[in-house]
Amino acid sequence: MSNIDRRTLVKGSLAAMMAGAAFSRAASAQSSEPILLGVSGPLTGPNAQYGTQWKQGFDLALDEIMAAGGINGRKLAYQFEDSQSDPRQSVAIAQKFVSDPRIVMELGDFSSPASMAASPIYQRGGLVQFGFTNSHPDFTKGGDFMWSTSVSQADEQPLLAAYAVKRLGLKKLAVLHLNTDWGRTSRDYFVKAAKEYGAEIAVTEGYIAEERDFRSTLVRVRDANPDGLILISYYSDGALIARQARQVGLKQVMCAASSVYSPKFIELGGEAVEDVHLGTRYFPQDPRPEVKKFIAGFKAKYGGQEPDAFNAYSYDAMNMAAAVVKIGGTDRRAVRDAFAKVKDVSSVIFGQATFDVESRRVKGAMNAELVVRKGQFALWDGKPT
Amino acid sequence: MSSWLDYTINGLIVGNVYALVAVGLALIFGVSRLINFAQGSIYLVGAYVGWVAVVQLHTPLPLTIIVVAVAAAIVGLIIERFGLRPLQNSVRIAPLLATIGISFVLDQLVMLTFSPNPRALPSQLPDVRFQVGGGTIGPLDLLIAGVGLTSALLLFVFLRYSKLGWAVRAASQDRDAAMQMGVDVNRVNQAVFGIAAALGGVSGMLVGMYYNQIDTAMSLQATLKGVVAEVVGGAGNVPGAVIGSLLLGLVESYGVAVFGTSYRNLFAFLLLVVVLVLRPNGLFASARQAPPEPLTGTFIAPSRPVRIPRWALAVAAAGFAVLPLFPVSFYVLQTLINAWLLGMLALSLTLVAGTIGQVSLGHAALLAIGAYTSALLSLTFSVPVGLAIIGGGLMSAALGTALISPSFRLRGHYVSIATLAIGEIVSLVILNWETVTRGPIGISGIPPLSLFGYDLISPTSIYWFSFAVMVVLALLQGRLLGSHLGRSFRAIRDDDVAARAYGLGLNRYKSLAFIFGGFAAGISGGIAAHLYSYINHETFNTQQSILALTVVILGGLGNVVGAILGAVALVGLPEVFRIAAEYRILIYGIVLLLLVRFRPQGLLGTI
Repeated sequence: MSNIDRRTLVKGSLAAMMAGAAFSRAASAQSSEPILLGVSGPLTGPNAQYGTQWKQGFDLALDEIMAAGGINGRKLAYQFEDSQSDPRQSVAIAQKFVSDPRIVMELGDFSSPASMAASPIYQRGGLVQFGFTNSHPDFTKGGDFMWSTSVSQADEQPLLAAYAVKRLGLKKLAVLHLNTDWGRTSRDYFVKAAKEYGAEIAVTEGYIAEERDFRSTLVRVRDANPDGLILISYYSDGALIARQARQVGLKQVMCAASSVYSPKFIELGGEAVEDVHLGTRYFPQDPRPEVKKFIAGFKAKYGGQEPDAFNAYSYDAMNMAAAVVKIGGTDRRAVRDAFAKVKDVSSVIFGQATFDVESRRVKGAMNAELVVRKGQFALWDGKPT
Repeated sequence: MSSWLDYTINGLIVGNVYALVAVGLALIFGVSRLINFAQGSIYLVGAYVGWVAVVQLHTPLPLTIIVVAVAAAIVGLIIERFGLRPLQNSVRIAPLLATIGISFVLDQLVMLTFSPNPRALPSQLPDVRFQVGGGTIGPLDLLIAGVGLTSALLLFVFLRYSKLGWAVRAASQDRDAAMQMGVDVNRVNQAVFGIAAALGGVSGMLVGMYYNQIDTAMSLQATLKGVVAEVVGGAGNVPGAVIGSLLLGLVESYGVAVFGTSYRNLFAFLLLVVVLVLRPNGLFASARQAPPEPLTGTFIAPSRPVRIPRWALAVAAAGFAVLPLFPVSFYVLQTLINAWLLGMLALSLTLVAGTIGQVSLGHAALLAIGAYTSALLSLTFSVPVGLAIIGGGLMSAALGTALISPSFRLRGHYVSIATLAIGEIVSLVILNWETVTRGPIGISGIPPLSLFGYDLISPTSIYWFSFAVMVVLALLQGRLLGSHLGRSFRAIRDDDVAARAYGLGLNRYKSLAFIFGGFAAGISGGIAAHLYSYINHETFNTQQSILALTVVILGGLGNVVGAILGAVALVGLPEVFRIAAEYRILIYGIVLLLLVRFRPQGLLGTI
């Protein structure tokens, strides 16, 4: 068919559009226009809370970036498009961003189906898709325009396994995990590492995200007779499991993945989450300066509210994006190449973040070993519970 | 062995929780023959009113319950008066759709007011626990059981011995006759909605206290479980709803015991399908109950379809075909690609729902079957993508029809509920059948669309491809509807008794319709899989099924052009309202309500 004609036409029309856009903007002084990042994420629908948390982290980071003089004197801003974390909408948003010449980089989406459905469009469109909550092992395999600061579960889960098995001395484990791509991948890495450290996995149970009732699951866990429970959960389901575990009389030590780290975990879990051990990538009492700065800034901006993990991810992501744009400027290809060039970006999660060019992810997440004591997260003092 | 006692107790406890929603649903169904999809939203409202009362006003528990009950009842009365009463004389499905729209609006209002973050709703009862079996029971478990059983009992007494209760029962048996006997049916309806909403609100509050957690996503799950419990018990039967809930809780608990946690909901929905097949009116439906009426059929809107002249259609089609030649952004093209894919799904649904009268709420399952088949064929067996998509269509036609066939003997709302369950079952099988579907990890790296060796990766070529496929499917379906077969379909829809008397084999014709419909949906799913390159069990979910239903209602049931128009509108509207960010679902819900209210036969009318 008229393949060439069509392509020429498309390219022609696109070029015309871009030229038109550039022309209309040429009138206004170029430096007064903000450098624009696209965000594709959930603001409505079942994952809406995460989009709201993203915004808080983004806005805090932007305040600081602006206070420090912006990007080489220019303003940095983002355009948040609500995808509901639905793949149908994230692909349309991807087309929107790709064909909008003002957008220099995209952040998101939240879930794997929504993010990875959009990846081919970003890859072909030559726009960086910067996923900062995408721990799906295949996310960065989508192409060289996919980069992620999401900690690979291959990195994080062995740390949790070491905490549980080596330090807490748990030998027979029950693993409860969210039955999603994230929970499943995490479970597999955890189980592998725990076995290497000499623990036995008595039972693994996967539950769906909407689940509220875990009593029957916990009877299975009890019958497997473990000496420790591992929760690969988010804070809301983690708190539910902990409460119900104590209600049905399970007294075993509980360990949880870093994703439960949120003041909400304690608020929702109450006394039931007392003595729950967790590894986390940051927490307020962490003496590292980048963490202190983040916590103080967050509390000041949001009326004393404690930040949680998703606030930290989005804060880090915006800072990383700023660092990248500082080097790469507004050319999309240069922005992609800049990811390989940024070095030691100050980060709440990593301390200093540098990308591994092979995996297009950051390696070496920090891990603080925490325990909930008297309704507070505290550094674990080494005493068994 | 002692574990079985624990599983039984746990099943009964969670069954109690389901009963709180199911009783309200049963009451409303008893009077209005309506499955109230907004019941879960009232439950949500109750939970948040409870939160305000407990956390901000520090009310004691009895007062909290009263505050919540009154607030929820007011919401229920408003829904009845302004949402549903104006729809009394419109198509049977209009109120159902209105409750879906109302639930969008309510959920969204709650979310905008309280933010989507989960909140802790502290229980106001002392935290003592009694040892029962290997587990424990607390005062809140007992209170929930008490509220469930007492309300069922009170309702039973009310319906049997009070004058208003008689009126309710009279209205539920024969609305017109009751009206002729001087029963104020509107007042009855109001009373029922008020009572059901008060119950729903209190249940949301109690469940929130039970889990010490409320969030704005809790309404859909509550509705789903409540509907399953209610239908298992026998729609409209209040004691049946309680027993159905307990049974549902037990089946789930035993399912977890035997097969593990990830199978939990699978057994809930299998229970529903089995009950519906064995006892189409539920376990405890009374024998004297009037048979459910077909949802469409005799109640099809008395309107003449808008006939669009052929030349106008041809011009419109040509316009869309040459659109990419003009400088339109890829975003617009991608949005239209989504519309064409939804259009194919809508064609499929409008055929089975509009033409033969089988309203399906689980249509996304057909997409999922097509998508997985096509993805796996091309990835595992290296089948060329074009053929793989056709394979997806064929598989959807075959497997989808086989799965839905048990529902062929059902009528009215039961068809919708059965298909809803089948949709959930397909999704859960995909989640659990890891050796084939790769379970929760999903399938990534699906090759892009291609035809005769040429990759279709630019939005323009994908646009043309999906548009062409949709047009071909639409033309085929147009031919089908104009043929003798199409007339037989409509005969079955309008009066299946007469159709059967005339010698039409209902099951065979319904199968034929689902085979055609399944093929179109499967093709849509297959194209989507190659377009997205990654799919998992959540890609095609219940929301997608509800969206498809909304599209065909909007366009006009059975109307081919209407289905496409509806798809363009419903893909386009949220994109248009994108600037409104958090408010767009709210706006979408309101638009839906207005359409149902003022144009219930759909934009183009029903064929």
